[in-house]
Amino acid sequence: MGEAVWEQVQEQCSDVRTVDLLVALPSFNQSSTVGPVVHAIVAGLKSAFGQASILFLNADVGSQDGTPDLVRQTVGDSLPFASIRPNTDGMSGSTFALNRFSYSGMPAREEAFRSVFAVTRRLEAQACIILDPSVRSITAEWVALLAQPILEKGADYVAPVFSRQRYEGSLTNNLIAPLTRALYGKRVACQIGGGYGFSQKLSSFLLENEALWEGDAGRFAIDSWMTTVAVAEGYEVWQACLGSKVQDIKAGAADISTSLAQAVGATFHYMERYQDIWEKQVESQEVPIVGRPVEITMESVPIQVDRMLKGFRQGLRDLLPIWEVILTPDTLAGVLELGLRDDEEFRFPLPLWVQTVYDSAVAYHEKVIHREHLLKSLVPLYLGRTASVVLETKGGGPGMVQDTVEHGCHTFEVMKPYLIDRWRFQ
Amino acid sequence: MSEMWQDAMVAAFREMASRGVLFLPKLMALVTFLMLGLAIGWLVQVSLMRILNVVRFEVFCERMGLTPALTKAGMKQQIPHLVGRLAFWIVFLFFAFMGVDALDLPATANLMSAILGFLPNVIAAILVGLLGILLANFTGEAVLIAAVNAQIHGARFIANMVRWGVVIFTVAMVLTQLGIAKEIVVAAFSIIFGGIVFAMAIALGLGGRSIAKEVLERRFGREKSRDEFTHI
Repeated sequence: MGEAVWEQVQEQCSDVRTVDLLVALPSFNQSSTVGPVVHAIVAGLKSAFGQASILFLNADVGSQDGTPDLVRQTVGDSLPFASIRPNTDGMSGSTFALNRFSYSGMPAREEAFRSVFAVTRRLEAQACIILDPSVRSITAEWVALLAQPILEKGADYVAPVFSRQRYEGSLTNNLIAPLTRALYGKRVACQIGGGYGFSQKLSSFLLENEALWEGDAGRFAIDSWMTTVAVAEGYEVWQACLGSKVQDIKAGAADISTSLAQAVGATFHYMERYQDIWEKQVESQEVPIVGRPVEITMESVPIQVDRMLKGFRQGLRDLLPIWEVILTPDTLAGVLELGLRDDEEFRFPLPLWVQTVYDSAVAYHEKVIHREHLLKSLVPLYLGRTASVVLETKGGGPGMVQDTVEHGCHTFEVMKPYLIDRWRFQ
Repeated sequence: MSEMWQDAMVAAFREMASRGVLFLPKLMALVTFLMLGLAIGWLVQVSLMRILNVVRFEVFCERMGLTPALTKAGMKQQIPHLVGRLAFWIVFLFFAFMGVDALDLPATANLMSAILGFLPNVIAAILVGLLGILLANFTGEAVLIAAVNAQIHGARFIANMVRWGVVIFTVAMVLTQLGIAKEIVVAAFSIIFGGIVFAMAIALGLGGRSIAKEVLERRFGREKSRDEFTHI
């Protein structure tokens, strides 16, 4: 695949041999948003990297609405430009490609990333940044925030952090980020999409390790596992505060259970690969941050506590035989008790939630039931915990939500010995 | 008269003795086959159980829902043990039939060839049955989880319908494979299955048209419903 995309680049930019910075834009039917995004990127490149050699790369996975042409026209002659078509096995854009959608809503997004990494290596680019054309809020500043830590500070990976509305990103805040922090000892927000920065060292590593791309976790959840791999492999991870993320929700984007299965499945999947690393990790550390610190806003995303509680109670009623297999008797007893509480008094205790997540990770490892079933059966439990967080913090300000998230992360760290014991001696 | 009686007695005795002499090796062959069947059957049973334990077949069956299904059906033994016993009896019966064939009795003249001829059908039926149970459990579980996550009322009922649908389909296939009441099974299955689909189509068309419209709009509509979880 590397050779094929490199030939496409060479056909369009035969004089480009090496660059300092590769700017990539994976795309799929995003003509409605891509214009302003490209303008912002070009402006950012001119203001921050006027003297650097740059290639603007569009990796399009089969748009039918002329997105690549629009990108080419918008970039114009301002920068060397190439548009490539990653190998997507003819699946992108097809009606039958629904199973190829990751929760990003873009088919074959992973193949687009791989192609970009392949070009990064061939061009010996010191840094590569990948931006998401569906994010309307990309500004010129993003380019510098993502690329400068790599070009000037020795970072290998720059992950995005966005200002969020109250309760936004509940899966990340309640599960992915605390678990990643407890496992690998890096306090990363694990937010996804928008933009990322990679050093050549990291992109080559990702490209060369075929095993990373295998399985559903590798194929459908690249946004989740890049951060996991970067922290687990000990790369220099930075975070860039990019402000707000305003994104079009794609019609083909996955539903809640698929999104949860992909994101949590990726984290559990890499727990097996990096067992030796996370078992030894005992404490967590902050990672360097660039940009203006972001905050949780007072305004809340639409959230229906009653519907979440209904989902939890239905799970309790119908999925009990499955939870009996996944959870330990102690954890299950705790979960069963929750069914007796009234809506307003409902609380899913944090230690019980952590125990639930750790039991699920062990069950995933032990393959006690089909893994996709296991992951999807966690949805009602996740809804229960999220409803509990909303009820616990509804009278407080955004700071209270932030404190709850931080307390969650700390509890995941404190209870890690429980995970290690169960993982080893199950 | 006395000589004739004596000759008849001697001739009958000789005849009996020669038949006995001719039958004895066949009887010994039968006993040998039975003993060989016991020994080889035991060997196959033990080897198979060890192999299945090494490859963690029990865990696989547990994961695929076969063990819980058999437990519900009253089967208390572990699956590797069950498979081992099945293998033992297949091997033993195979040798036993060879032994019976070796007796060369007119009544069992074509027994072995008839059994060998039917054996592929039995093996195919067993495999179809096993796969059917696995598929029924897998799809039942998948439908249950999907229905619960979609917060559909009667999720368990829908899942059970799917599970039993696959089981009925499997039973029909097994009976057809074994050639038992083939025509009746096909006709009964077609009537039941066709009836269920027809009833569901009428129910959806008459009673659930608006619900179907709403579900399709939510699934394929460009606008996300306000009722969906957007905070993930």
